[in-house]
Amino acid sequence: MKMKTKVPTFVALIAGLLMMGPPLLAHHGDASYSPTPLELKGCVITEYTWMNPHSLIKFDYKTQEGVVQHWIMEIGSPPSMALLGWSRTTLKPGDVITAYVLQSKTGRFVGRTNKVILADGTMLGDRDDATPSRYGGDQKK
Amino acid sequence: MRKPVIDAVVGLVAMLVLSSLAIAQTAQSQSTQGNEARSPWKYYPRDIATGDGGPAPKRDLSGTWAGPGSSPAVPRGAAAERPSLTPQAQQLMNERKPIGKFGPAGANDPTARYCDPFGFPQNVYNEGRALSVATMPDRVVILFQYMDVWREIWTDGRALPAKVGGSDKDSLDPTYMGYSVGHWEDDYNFVVDTTGLDERTWLTNAGYPHSVNARVQERFTRVDHNTMKLSLTIEDPTMYAKPFSLGTYNYKWLSNQKFNEWLCLPSEQIKYLTEQGEPAGSFPDAPPARYGGGR
Repeated sequence: MKMKTKVPTFVALIAGLLMMGPPLLAHHGDASYSPTPLELKGCVITEYTWMNPHSLIKFDYKTQEGVVQHWIMEIGSPPSMALLGWSRTTLKPGDVITAYVLQSKTGRFVGRTNKVILADGTMLGDRDDATPSRYGGDQKK
Repeated sequence: MRKPVIDAVVGLVAMLVLSSLAIAQTAQSQSTQGNEARSPWKYYPRDIATGDGGPAPKRDLSGTWAGPGSSPAVPRGAAAERPSLTPQAQQLMNERKPIGKFGPAGANDPTARYCDPFGFPQNVYNEGRALSVATMPDRVVILFQYMDVWREIWTDGRALPAKVGGSDKDSLDPTYMGYSVGHWEDDYNFVVDTTGLDERTWLTNAGYPHSVNARVQERFTRVDHNTMKLSLTIEDPTMYAKPFSLGTYNYKWLSNQKFNEWLCLPSEQIKYLTEQGEPAGSFPDAPPARYGGGR
């Protein structure tokens, strides 16, 4: 007798799940980028733009073969990055950094920043798990 | 036998001395940080008022509030519910390409592409890191940090407009903020009803739609002097089978009552998309991933 009441409940649950749409609030995805960072040492900053929606870091990287690659990589928006120690004046042209970059799956010299190490040894990251999401509450699973 | 004991005592004393030095340095460092000059013109998102600040003032939300994502001090709110879509809503969803799945290169979200305003209610829960509330004799005004936009909530007893977006001469135009009326349910709960929302705006950045006849109800609760909560629900039979919650969001009193300007500039958006977003490509079929970006 109990089974008879449980089966419709189960069916209703599955039907309800199938009726659901995609997540109510989705983050800005990073599916365009490789999950494994490249370590690029001796990168010379050519431009740093503190801007919305995401700040941009341009730099030149010289390979072991002496070929200069012109890279661009993004970090988060100014208010997000300020919480992680970044600012409008963190970088300037000519600064030398070590860049850890998640390269685009297209293979272009475009990427998402994993972290950077400044000339004085300061490490700055690009991810903040300490602050609750700006969306306030994630959607019920 | 005695030497190991002496060595252990010496080691213990050395550890205590080093520990006390470290504690002293840490205390000095914290003290120095606490004594840093604070500019009244600067936004300090982490500088949230501590404690409850005393009892909540009656029928007053006025002040500047730190919202979701502004700092670790603002706790996560309650989750939004998943809606049940009508066929019309599902058809619109099929046409929409949210940034979470398609990335900046493939998205057709008008905010992600062109810096179009979110509109209400998305501007409450997307980039809602700070807002100010101002009370006027006949309305309450909410000033949003993101995009320097505001909305008016009329408290003079008027009813919501009966016709918005229709073809009649007396029908009002839909707007990005809609038409809002509010009343105090008691001394600490301010209830706001809104309709007439422009259908070009997305309800969320996942692409959920709304009709011009959607009714959004907000409940602002002044918990104590330093704490405010906001819960939202939406009723829109054109798009959803039943009303559902858009979540609950927490706000804390910002100590120096100052937030900074934070705009989405179309020229910067174009630079970002041209130089970074589009070259990075769109991979909508790839598994969702999030590696960076702060909050």
